[in-house]
Amino acid sequence: MVDRIERLTNLLALLLETTRPLSLVEIAGDLDGQYPDADKARRASFERDKSALRDIGVPIETEIVGGGPFAGQTTYRIDRRAYELADLDLTPDEMRALQVAVAAVRSDPGKEAIWKLGGALGDERPPVSAMIPERPELPAIRAAVAARASIEFGYRGEQRTLDPWGLLLRGGFWYVTGHDHARGERRTFRVDRFEGGADGVGTGDPGSFERPPSFDPRTAFPADPKQIGYVADESIDALVRIDALRAVAIERELGADRVVERNDDGSILVSVPAGNLAAFRSWVLGLLDHAVVESPPELREHLIEWLTAVVDGAPGSVRR
Amino acid sequence: MSGPRNAEDRLRRLLVMLPWLMEVGEAPLADVARRFEMTESQVQSDLELVAMCGLPPFVDEMVDVFVDDGIVFVGIPRLFTRPLRLTAPEAFSLLTSARTAMELPGADAAGALGRGLAKLAAVLADAGLATTGGGEVDDTASVVVDLARPEFADDLAEAAASGTELEISYYSPARAEITRRSIVPRHVYADVGNWYVSADDDRSQSRRTFRVDRIESITATGRTVDVEATTSPGRFFEDVDVDRATIRVSPDARWVLDQYPIDSVVELADGWAEARLPVSSDRWMAKLLIRLGPDAVLIEPAGESPAAAIAQRVLDGYGRAGPQRT
Repeated sequence: MVDRIERLTNLLALLLETTRPLSLVEIAGDLDGQYPDADKARRASFERDKSALRDIGVPIETEIVGGGPFAGQTTYRIDRRAYELADLDLTPDEMRALQVAVAAVRSDPGKEAIWKLGGALGDERPPVSAMIPERPELPAIRAAVAARASIEFGYRGEQRTLDPWGLLLRGGFWYVTGHDHARGERRTFRVDRFEGGADGVGTGDPGSFERPPSFDPRTAFPADPKQIGYVADESIDALVRIDALRAVAIERELGADRVVERNDDGSILVSVPAGNLAAFRSWVLGLLDHAVVESPPELREHLIEWLTAVVDGAPGSVRR
Repeated sequence: MSGPRNAEDRLRRLLVMLPWLMEVGEAPLADVARRFEMTESQVQSDLELVAMCGLPPFVDEMVDVFVDDGIVFVGIPRLFTRPLRLTAPEAFSLLTSARTAMELPGADAAGALGRGLAKLAAVLADAGLATTGGGEVDDTASVVVDLARPEFADDLAEAAASGTELEISYYSPARAEITRRSIVPRHVYADVGNWYVSADDDRSQSRRTFRVDRIESITATGRTVDVEATTSPGRFFEDVDVDRATIRVSPDARWVLDQYPIDSVVELADGWAEARLPVSSDRWMAKLLIRLGPDAVLIEPAGESPAAAIAQRVLDGYGRAGPQRT
């Protein structure tokens, strides 16, 4: 028996070179002695090789013979045009820019892509980088967005159908926004909460919807990630006193137009949307003793009650 | 590559290495190994193996390549002259890498990166990521990378690229104070929604990581040092020495499981979950428990929750005395 990589290379070469699709019997004959003689073992070895080649991206075409003595047999070949990478004519500076981009993201599939394009990451050490999560579902979603095809996926134990309009990476997570069939309105979903991995995403027919012309995933995104799937009520504003230690940073975070009062001790009073109680509370408590809610009174009371429960160590005692 | 290499990985690497070798004709073995992240002996043995491949009537001459005296030579190219097209994950990763790089400090959208990105249209279509019309790659609404770069990220990146020392004022949440310190930025990076700078810090005389949004001001000190190419440091929570805590969270607080690194999760009744997670400091844990309030219960470490005392201090700000502790 030959080394497996040798057999794989020979199989690949044979299917690329052949001018007509070949049956397994013909393949085994050409690769003399490399596949087992027994039918069952030969089929098993070949299937293993075929899926190994497909896994690395080799497009193996199958055809069922229509007539003649071999009718019903499956035959195989590789279309060289489908196998070979198109030449992109990248100039050296374009190639280098892509190399730096992939080095900055440090993505393994991206590195494979650069190699295929004839580049290399070499010693690229850009002074700036970003860690971008890779999710197996993303290529299928992106393909569906491009093809205007609906997708189906499991999400929190429920099967959803969505016309995907676009993907957004924000705050370290990937989101897809589109028209939710069952809800009849726009919804945003977190891709890492999809159930079933890449195989869990089903894709419908291409050209099955039109995307709103002005769609931009950034503006379509719910104001607060915890609100995904809900509608925000931004109508309530709270007044929060921020002490001198955090005043500069908070003013920068919110913008100067949110500052309603500046004090000699360096503290400021800011007006903050509090329509989403959970999000507001989480933000203000994250500032610990650097922030105190001044109004509205019921919000102030709610925080006092909340903090008192924490001091008491009595979970479940706060009204919502 | 590390660890044992299976046949698929070796073949995949060969299928990118061979077209490149055929293009260049010959190359030092050491260069080939470095370029494709293999050892020299791995390159040599894989090339020797593939040189023996062949089909009648071209036995042994299908791939005409040999290694002599540390140099790889390629004869007449017959097969594998072009690389295999990109897989969908490779094409997607290339696209998002380019889009991400556009969001990094110093990006030049109209420059080489923008032009290179525009040329990817054909490979995206071939990988099944775009319609065959091709124009999709410029359809920026399909994939948007939003890194929300804070004010000082550009200055810090610039300082890292030029070896410029900066004086910063930095808010340290662990001690709740603002310190002034001189740093030499080495690497600026974004990770899970936050920006960090890894820098040589004069105060601790060591390399430290700072959150960019906690830097309140920067000024150049006028001193410059040698530029040092470096990558982002490992994440603190991967460190086994970091303390762990176990908390139970209610259905409303399950976002914690997504937001923070978690070692393990056990599902409980009524949608509650028990999670074990790394804790960077007592104060961080206390803050998390205060934010979660009744939606979380600290299981481990047992004893008094570090949150109670800090919650009392926050409560003091409201001019209310909490209940008397016994």
